[in-house]
Amino acid sequence: MAAQGRIVWVSGPAVKADGMSAAKMYETVVVGNSKLVGEVIRLTGDVAFIQVYESTSGLKPGEPVVGTGNPLSVLLGPGIIGQLYDGIQRPLRELSKASGSFIGRGITTTPVDMTKKYHFVPTVKNGDVVHPGNVIGTVQETDLIEHSIMVPPDHPGGVVSNIVSEGDYDLETEIAKTEKDGKSITLKMYHKWPVRKPRPYKDRYDPTVPLLTGQRVIDTFFPIAKGGTGSIPGAFGTGKTVTLHQIAKWADSQVVVYIGCGERGNEMTEVLVEFPHLKDPRSGKPLMDRTVLVANTSNMPVAAREASIYTGVTIAEYYRDMGKDVVLVADSTSRWAEALREMSGRLEEMPAEEGYPSYLASRLAEFYERAGRVRAMGSPDRDGSVTLVGAVSPSGGDFTEPVTTHTMRFIKTFWALDAKLAYSRHYPSINWMNSYSGYLADISKWWGENINGDWLSLRSEAYGVLQREDTLKEIVRLLGPEALPDEEKLILEVARMIKIGLLQQNSFDDVDTYCSPEKQYKLLKLLVDFYRKGQQALKEGAELSDIRAMGVIGSMLKARMEVKDDEMAKLEQLDKDMQEQFKAITGVKVSN
Amino acid sequence: MTEGGVQYSKIAEIKGPLVIVDDVENAAFDELVEIETREGERRLGKVLEVGNGKAIVQVFEGTTGLSISGTNAKFVGKVMEMPVSKEVLGRVFDGLGRPKDGLPDPIADKFIDINGEPMNPEQREYPKDFIQTGVSVIDGMITLVRGQKLPIFSGSGMSHNLLAAQIARQASVVGTQDDFAVVFAAIGVQYSEAEYFRRSLEESGALKRSVLFLNLADDPAIERIITPRVALTVAEYLAFDLGMHVLVILTDMTNYAEALREISAAREEVPGRKGYPGYLYTDLSTIYERAGKLNGKKGSVTQVPILSMPSDDITHPIPDLTGYITEGQIVLGRDLFRQGVYPPVNILMSLSRLMKDGIGEGSTRADHGEISNQNYDAYSRAQEVRALAGIVGKAGLTEIDLKYMDVGDVFEKEFLSQATDENRTIDETLSILWKVVSKLPKNELTKVKDKFVEQYYQEK
Amino acid sequence: MESSSALETTIDKILDQTQKNILSSINLALTDAQKTLDNAIPRLEQEYDKIISDGKKEADKIQKQIVGSSDLEARNKHLLALEKAVENVFTKALEQIANAQRNGDYANLIKSLLEKSTNILGTTQVIVYTNSKDKDLVKSTLSQFSGAELSAETIDCLGGVIVKSKDGAMTFDNTIDARIERLKPLIRKEIASKFGVGN
Repeated sequence: MAAQGRIVWVSGPAVKADGMSAAKMYETVVVGNSKLVGEVIRLTGDVAFIQVYESTSGLKPGEPVVGTGNPLSVLLGPGIIGQLYDGIQRPLRELSKASGSFIGRGITTTPVDMTKKYHFVPTVKNGDVVHPGNVIGTVQETDLIEHSIMVPPDHPGGVVSNIVSEGDYDLETEIAKTEKDGKSITLKMYHKWPVRKPRPYKDRYDPTVPLLTGQRVIDTFFPIAKGGTGSIPGAFGTGKTVTLHQIAKWADSQVVVYIGCGERGNEMTEVLVEFPHLKDPRSGKPLMDRTVLVANTSNMPVAAREASIYTGVTIAEYYRDMGKDVVLVADSTSRWAEALREMSGRLEEMPAEEGYPSYLASRLAEFYERAGRVRAMGSPDRDGSVTLVGAVSPSGGDFTEPVTTHTMRFIKTFWALDAKLAYSRHYPSINWMNSYSGYLADISKWWGENINGDWLSLRSEAYGVLQREDTLKEIVRLLGPEALPDEEKLILEVARMIKIGLLQQNSFDDVDTYCSPEKQYKLLKLLVDFYRKGQQALKEGAELSDIRAMGVIGSMLKARMEVKDDEMAKLEQLDKDMQEQFKAITGVKVSN
Repeated sequence: MTEGGVQYSKIAEIKGPLVIVDDVENAAFDELVEIETREGERRLGKVLEVGNGKAIVQVFEGTTGLSISGTNAKFVGKVMEMPVSKEVLGRVFDGLGRPKDGLPDPIADKFIDINGEPMNPEQREYPKDFIQTGVSVIDGMITLVRGQKLPIFSGSGMSHNLLAAQIARQASVVGTQDDFAVVFAAIGVQYSEAEYFRRSLEESGALKRSVLFLNLADDPAIERIITPRVALTVAEYLAFDLGMHVLVILTDMTNYAEALREISAAREEVPGRKGYPGYLYTDLSTIYERAGKLNGKKGSVTQVPILSMPSDDITHPIPDLTGYITEGQIVLGRDLFRQGVYPPVNILMSLSRLMKDGIGEGSTRADHGEISNQNYDAYSRAQEVRALAGIVGKAGLTEIDLKYMDVGDVFEKEFLSQATDENRTIDETLSILWKVVSKLPKNELTKVKDKFVEQYYQEK
Repeated sequence: MESSSALETTIDKILDQTQKNILSSINLALTDAQKTLDNAIPRLEQEYDKIISDGKKEADKIQKQIVGSSDLEARNKHLLALEKAVENVFTKALEQIANAQRNGDYANLIKSLLEKSTNILGTTQVIVYTNSKDKDLVKSTLSQFSGAELSAETIDCLGGVIVKSKDGAMTFDNTIDARIERLKPLIRKEIASKFGVGN
């Protein structure tokens, strides 16, 4: 029996209704005469406290509230890739058909086109026994995505009957039945799953494979692993969104879920406009063929912003269960936390720090816990991962505020954006002194096996130079650069070269925007070699000014833009030039 | 919400800008309310919360002079609407959208809910049309594009109004004139500031293509919640119904946020930072996000909100949250202002997020992005060198450092500085940018491709 | 004499010298003046040009301003004229309504006004106010609304009723005046379009 109540109170996105004793916690309800979507978030006696996912302007006490009997769920099946959803999985393209350029209210649509036909290839036959999570067939969802049709995780399993033969079917077609204990259940190409409940898996592994993003400061200095967690906090103007877009564009995962949570409308438009034209560097196919967007921009209803994170992560888990590597980018978790705070305030809950509810930390923990590399349920064996990257927008750029500090407890890679770097146009403005990665040791094996065994030691040496520079800078600030001995001046010089030639990356430059691991390694090696040779040359009596005047430096600094990924020979040549020029300056000294 | 018009006379409480009405049977959230005082004066308000027989009404014109007995509240049965038509051009309205120029109400083509509806991100057209403002620092380094929201972060007494007026005047000259309109919303500013703006529009002949909304410093504070919304409602109408390119100037958004804080305090809500409500970000976004372009529509809404940073502090919640929503910011610097530089733009803290798509080959020039980056880089280095020179003296600087000092000076004197009626073309602007970095040897130019250095570097 | 002559010669010399000096300095001054003048001319010309161009700019500005302002003024006069016309139509229409026959249609109107009012207030326990003209008609209709009373006090309006709950907490103004006031923007648009204005 669905609950049927009556509104007694309205204040912004919060509504109270009485006569709701039949309602369940987190049940989806239909609110008011204009049939707005809401969710029950507290029950007291027969009064339900409801957060409404659409504007409540004009809503009146006395209007009806009707329960649906179901928790807030997403529809999972082919057709999700390439979509732009709002926070509760309504496709924005369909909404615009109903209400034009602006988002109207009370519109019902299906998340995917239920009438579109997909070519289904069964992988089981009648009489096979299936368990929850088993793959029963596949469809080609996009050029890039082979979509496994799975027995839902909450399905009891059973013996397959009535499986359809290979052919084109739409989503509502009954593609198979299962029989168990005399009960017959119909399977379609889709099922629903409640967003607040993590999808189960069989086993969980340690993340050991790097998620390659093509961004040097990330991959080389502060890497994240597939199935790992990362956070990117930064004041406005530090290039947070650009960095996240770069990850979404170039990460070597099969699926990308991008959540615009309380952010700018034009940023989602940018993704929509740009991604179909960008080619995945590995497959050459449009990036949109692997991307799902969830957009609940800042001016859209605040409650749906709270839901958008869960909608996104549930979709990510679904593709993970097919054995795919999925990256989920959430921009920004701070806006999600603010949505929590706003609802909490309306519920008149006791606030903790800065008005945030006391359960902020546990909600963040639950969210980041949904990352991981797992063995999916059922057969055949499938290993997939969900990597979670959350942006944080600390107010005033202050990293001691609650959302940043709590987030830091639950993530392993921390990319601290720095306004000072951004002001000097050092992009990405990831501060190398404040950032860290907990995956370095885990993934160094991968670099050793795939690129070169000395990767980790080169990385440490380069990082050492940056650390030395950081301390030397203090002295320079007080006494001027001339107070330092030449070896230390060389450190400053090399640090500058690392910053310009390696850490900085121009995402708007066609070549520089993505950097292959090989090129990253070679640039790193070139710079470290320069440092070693420079120190050696100084010991042998070369002049620092001669080192500084070496023609190869300019080319090394521009190599990131001028050398394409398939032109590694040019870097070899640079290496040769460097050796020659060092020889020349030490040679001159000797002949003196 | 068709049934309305009931007048209630049981006023339970009046506090701050709020009136709480009892025994209310028939009222909707957000509904417009007409408050009638004992003396027959009428004020407007809206419902902030309704239920259990009680309605909390926010009174725009303030509650001064209201009494518990004798005050009536009429619930009008609709949300607040702004009548719009082409005739609003050339008109002056008050902060609630009522005529202030002695002329009748506009004969409405439509009545539009002033809160607007969120633009569907899927229906937005990504902004990429360069607006030449003729102000070098903006065109060259912080490029404005149609449909962008780019605020000016200023401080008390600085020349933000001069700059905004110059942008409004000069941006209107480019392109097809008839399509251009200016919507100006004064939010709690002094008469002289609003008047400066009006005169500036008049002198450039743009007044007939402008709409002015004036809530002045001595007008009711709570009205300021409404002023930007009525202004943007008109702007959206002009842009998306009539196909005009609308530039909206909102000044000063700090006054808006303060009005919001006042209401929040009266409602005894748990405050966020500095006493501003926790929903300040969301609330501001419902204003700033009303900029943009839409698929299949000709016009655009470009916003230049102005806000004065309390004690010039950019981490104050108002500029901070604004910066998270807007597509960049133009930050005015106190030091430059004191040195008499106009416009005193601190380029290192300024940014236009949409610049990259509005510039380059086909719109400005192929080298634009790179030469602008190089100037940022060089000017930032110049600032470091200046700081160093302050400690070790000029003698302690290297030869290259001294060249960077030069760059800083030339940048400020020749590129940044400009007369208020000087309208530079983009080519002039880019040429000065090259002149600035040509103070450096070629191998310092690491951010520009060699081919551009060959083409534009100005040898001595 | 000699001496005086010598003196004279000296004096002459000095005079000559002085004269030369004076002449030369006059010459110098002249050349200087010439130079200054020569220098000044282009500057003057520049200044002249600037004055002219400034003047032109100013003139342009003033022209733009005048054109803009007079366009605007003309438009505003038009708006005022239109408004006057609209008001005229309005006043006439109101007069007609005020003087309308209180026939069967009107009785139905009063009934529906009362029905709507009591519906909105959610009670028939009301006091009803009306003008002296409609008093009898309202009174006879009120019998269909149990608990409703007619106030002895009459109000000044074109027609219709004001309905107030007995506890005085709620009032609904359903006079014809109020209804017209609510519809006024739409009516204005209608009238204006009859004048060929508006969209």
